[in-house]
Amino acid sequence: MKMSAKMENALPPVSKYHQPLLLRLVLGLCWWMVHILFSIQHVVNQILQAVKSYFISILLVQRYWDLQLHKLRSLAIVVDSKEARNTLKVKKLLSWLSRIGVKYVTLYDMEGILKKSLAESQGDLPNGILHKDRMMIELLSFIDSKEGIAKAASFLCNKYLRDELGNCEGKDLSITESDISDTLNVIGFGGPEPDLLLVYGPVRCHLGFPAWRLRYTEIIHMGSLNSMKYGDILTALYEFSKKKQNYGT
Amino acid sequence: MLGTMQFRTHLTASSLRNGITNPASFRAPPLPAIVRKSKSRSGWAAFSAADAPIATFGREERDDARDSISLPPGLRQEALPKHVAFIMDGNGRWAAERELPPSAGHQAGYKTLQLMVELSVKWGIRVLTVFAFSTENWLRPKLEVDFLMTLLETALKDNLQDFLREGIRICIIGDSSKLPKSVQEIAAKLEESTSNNSKLDLLVAISYSGRTDIVQACKKISQKVKNGVLKVEDIDESLVAQELETSCAALYPYPDLLIRTSGELRLSNFLLWEMAYTELYFAQSYWPDFGEKEFVEALFAFQRRQRRFGLRRQTIGVNQP
Repeated sequence: MKMSAKMENALPPVSKYHQPLLLRLVLGLCWWMVHILFSIQHVVNQILQAVKSYFISILLVQRYWDLQLHKLRSLAIVVDSKEARNTLKVKKLLSWLSRIGVKYVTLYDMEGILKKSLAESQGDLPNGILHKDRMMIELLSFIDSKEGIAKAASFLCNKYLRDELGNCEGKDLSITESDISDTLNVIGFGGPEPDLLLVYGPVRCHLGFPAWRLRYTEIIHMGSLNSMKYGDILTALYEFSKKKQNYGT
Repeated sequence: MLGTMQFRTHLTASSLRNGITNPASFRAPPLPAIVRKSKSRSGWAAFSAADAPIATFGREERDDARDSISLPPGLRQEALPKHVAFIMDGNGRWAAERELPPSAGHQAGYKTLQLMVELSVKWGIRVLTVFAFSTENWLRPKLEVDFLMTLLETALKDNLQDFLREGIRICIIGDSSKLPKSVQEIAAKLEESTSNNSKLDLLVAISYSGRTDIVQACKKISQKVKNGVLKVEDIDESLVAQELETSCAALYPYPDLLIRTSGELRLSNFLLWEMAYTELYFAQSYWPDFGEKEFVEALFAFQRRQRRFGLRRQTIGVNQP
């Protein structure tokens, strides 16, 4: 008898034991409901985006008819190296850009995957060639970035040592922005400054695209290359055409 | 507590919209386990969204390092950026919308900057770089430029004691030779007075251009080659990086996060070299309207985003904790 009484005392009261469990279940249920609501909202957003993109791509949305591409002299595309392995998608993207009427495209991925794969299969690119009348395609990787600046500095130093620029001993060396731009062109690291840069992949950075060229470039993140849509590209180009830059003035 | 969770999930969506992302790339948070065993004293903790705070019944045990820094709920100390850069854009438009002169916008923007410095110190951010005045800004109307120079002088003069008390080290980057003599003198004095402070490095970019910074780095290298200190073969990207003005923030010279206000989507010649792997966050609000809530949203977005440095993490000199 005494033993059973002791055991009874050892057990916590039922209400004390069940209260946290009940609270946890209620809170859990509430969280699930909140999560479901947001998931539904997310799915609806995705559907609306897809529908909008579809309508844009078949040009039913009137404002996308005239993209004013004269503003877009050069377009840059940064592709995350993991996604750059999907060369079919990249080629599809290039053919879309060609169809839209983009004249100059710079393709960049850090590891140079596009450089290797696309340069090897030039024939498969839009209109068959890498540099062509209708669209020129420049392929870049990480070595074309900061390394280019270092090589330009080396080149200029060699020039100074040969006394082509630093005429007088006591004089300060004069290097200007145009000196570096010209040198980058001479040593094969030059190129146009893109007006617009589209980033494909999970990251929200330009992954080391040549710094010298990014002064006033508009940057838009496009999401994953795998889920790219023609309508999204048109939207990005339209948004760009509406941008006005005042260059700090 | 449920209210907190709802608010956090809302933050997730809105801050993603503010970043350089399109709504199509927004992912719903993963389904969490409803409950889990935690180290809280009461033994149970409810689970919130992926980045949301763990709301506990009872006080949660925290280590000493975390006790000293009071972070907003949901921000994790280890996931905070070490170096944040700001392009403080939209002062003029903010003023114009209120039918005020540009000077009123700059004055309001200065208050925002004070708040950002205060919050950065409070939350343990180590370096803050602000784009105060670009080389292109010299082309603005003389009246506006003069006002900005006066504001700059006043700001540097008035805050010296605060900088010393809060442990803020000041570093002025940019072509200071173009600045008025009085500003140059105050800047030099401030840099010297705060040189031993270590809580926050505040880099103020005045008359700054990313390209000009690269040019002056190349100049310094050329001078060293000319003087025989360096050989041409020694020149590489790490040497260029050492000569950049941001190297004054020795521990974390590269920004982890760039916040640009007013919805513009470009770098505008700011820290071009340093921002190769910087997370870019473009906020819609004008700089004077950018407050604590907006800063927290930007930090939440940074916390969630996937950072990838590629193969060259060691060689590129990315900030290492």
